[in-house]
Amino acid sequence: MLKGIRNVVSKELKELLRDPKILIGMIILPLVMFPLLGMVIGTSIESTEQSLQTITVGIADFDRGEWSKNLTRYLSSIGNVVVINITATNLNEAVAQLQTNPKATDLIVIPEGFSANISSHKQATIETYSVYSGKGLTEGATSSIISQLLAQYNRYLAPNLFKTEAGSIVKGQPRKIDPRALLQVTSSQVFVLPVTVSILLMFTMQIAATSVASEKEEKTLETLLSLPIDRFTILLGKMTGSIVVAAVSAVAYMIGFNYYMTSITAGFGGQLSVDLEALGLAPSLLSYVLLGASLFVAILSALALAVILSAFTEDVRSAQSYISYLYIIIMFPMLLAMFSDINTLPLALKIVAYAIPYTYPMLAAKAAFTGEYLVATLGILYVALFTVILLYVAARLFATEKILTAKLRIRGFGLRRREPTSEA
Amino acid sequence: MEDAVEAKDIVKQFGEIRALDRLSFQVKEREIYGLIGPNGAGKTTTIRIAATLILPTSGSLKVFGHDAVEEAAEVRKLITYLPEEAGAYKNLSGYEYLRFMGKFRAENHFELEKMVKDAAEISGLGDRLKDKVKTYSKGMRRRLLVARALMTKPRLAILDEPTSGLDVIHSFHVRGVIKRFVEQYGVTVLLSSHNMLEVEYLCDRVALINRGRMVAEGTPEDLKRRLNVANLEEGFAKVVGFA
Repeated sequence: MLKGIRNVVSKELKELLRDPKILIGMIILPLVMFPLLGMVIGTSIESTEQSLQTITVGIADFDRGEWSKNLTRYLSSIGNVVVINITATNLNEAVAQLQTNPKATDLIVIPEGFSANISSHKQATIETYSVYSGKGLTEGATSSIISQLLAQYNRYLAPNLFKTEAGSIVKGQPRKIDPRALLQVTSSQVFVLPVTVSILLMFTMQIAATSVASEKEEKTLETLLSLPIDRFTILLGKMTGSIVVAAVSAVAYMIGFNYYMTSITAGFGGQLSVDLEALGLAPSLLSYVLLGASLFVAILSALALAVILSAFTEDVRSAQSYISYLYIIIMFPMLLAMFSDINTLPLALKIVAYAIPYTYPMLAAKAAFTGEYLVATLGILYVALFTVILLYVAARLFATEKILTAKLRIRGFGLRRREPTSEA
Repeated sequence: MEDAVEAKDIVKQFGEIRALDRLSFQVKEREIYGLIGPNGAGKTTTIRIAATLILPTSGSLKVFGHDAVEEAAEVRKLITYLPEEAGAYKNLSGYEYLRFMGKFRAENHFELEKMVKDAAEISGLGDRLKDKVKTYSKGMRRRLLVARALMTKPRLAILDEPTSGLDVIHSFHVRGVIKRFVEQYGVTVLLSSHNMLEVEYLCDRVALINRGRMVAEGTPEDLKRRLNVANLEEGFAKVVGFA
């Protein structure tokens, strides 16, 4: 029954493995991509671990009693804890003083009467505030360590001799919000927004590449280019069509995303109903404008890049294969945005991250939480410049015979441009 | 009378391949001029240069006095181009496709509708023009494209293998339309073809091209007489060295 199967399998393997698109997409790319992604995540985890090796914590001792000094001495004696003595007279001043030290992540507030309560065997209270930065993986880790150290001290004195009330410092303001609750609500946005932006960029590239490649495959491009219409108009028309489709797609994604967020928030129940707007963490008009502008220039550059690449292909399948190779420059910043803080990366990776234009819409998406509007704004200018250069190249390609005759040929493991041949 | 096309010493080099080697010819106004030759002779390259799609490496080609390189935008106003094996946008209906193409040339709505009406008549597709192009057979698609190329009554229609891949009935229809249009509207046609019957039937003059060079030119009757052959096919084989 299976007579001839060996022959068929042999032919299939030859066909598949000799197709450079399959060879690169299915074999070479994973061999490069996964180590690279592993390196990014590994470096992120490493930088997180390093940041946790030493915790810088401020102590605002409003009690100045025997037990508050004892607690300060206890924390100072722990090897990986650096204690800053805050000399403020109230909570707001203490927060302001803490934030003059960029390494400080937490504030312990010992209220007046703390020692007196302990001495008279009444339950005392300590307030802790964790600085919310909205930068991903390290978020909330230090507050857990501080909480554990205080629990340890509590056990050392006597169980439940004092209780801890955890709060957060959001954009310089002390808030009575448990950092874990805050993290749960905001992390979903920190994770989902980069994914949404990435999907949108990849989808846009596919649409634009397909649009040009299908003109070539269906043999309609030559007719179009012979019409009495400016070539740049054709290019802009194609890109606008792709933008409209991508925008419809973006709206669909945003509706889906909104539903997703509503479902998640509903799942938290009453205790985690954090009012992000009151905390200044709800996306403001400025952050929406920045995200929109950043996304727009990024989409334009992605379109131009896709048009340029597809100009060198002969059919839709080739165009889509080549476009998929570009996904790495979208996935790399996406993973960085999800798992890491770019500022904590080694210099080389930091340079690579900032050089990739698609890092900036991810940063703009996080700007609502990080407050880094300057980086997002500069990013828009950078991506705009990159886009102008790409549009110029795309326009030049459309204005010359290269749009019809240039081809990419993959030989061995490298991409080489082959001189066109006449079909006459 | 001004030449519709004047090609002078055109050279086109693709890397190491010389597709055209000092090719010169003139096409008179209201004439059907045919380029014939074997595969790789340089017919499509010549036609693409005339359609302003590719540039000659050296030499010049003028369309009604306008240089195809320096005044490409002017040339595009005068020509329509039908590439070999060209497609149409498959998700548009035949009417939508014709209107899309017509809008680039029509001055107003009235002119556009006249073009579309003419195209409907030329194509002979009737109500099928309301259907999406993807439902058309190859022959129907080609008739639509020929109609698109002629509906604007261009001064020069550049047709690359106008009946390529068509059956006898569709080929007969397309040839009839081209012949009628030239007589009726004074359109000049530059075409390439492998079909010698078609060339003899349609063309006023013919250029035999081989390896990028002109090897013979004249009316079909003139060529047959000069080459001492019974038909153009025999003459073609004789010139390119197969007979």
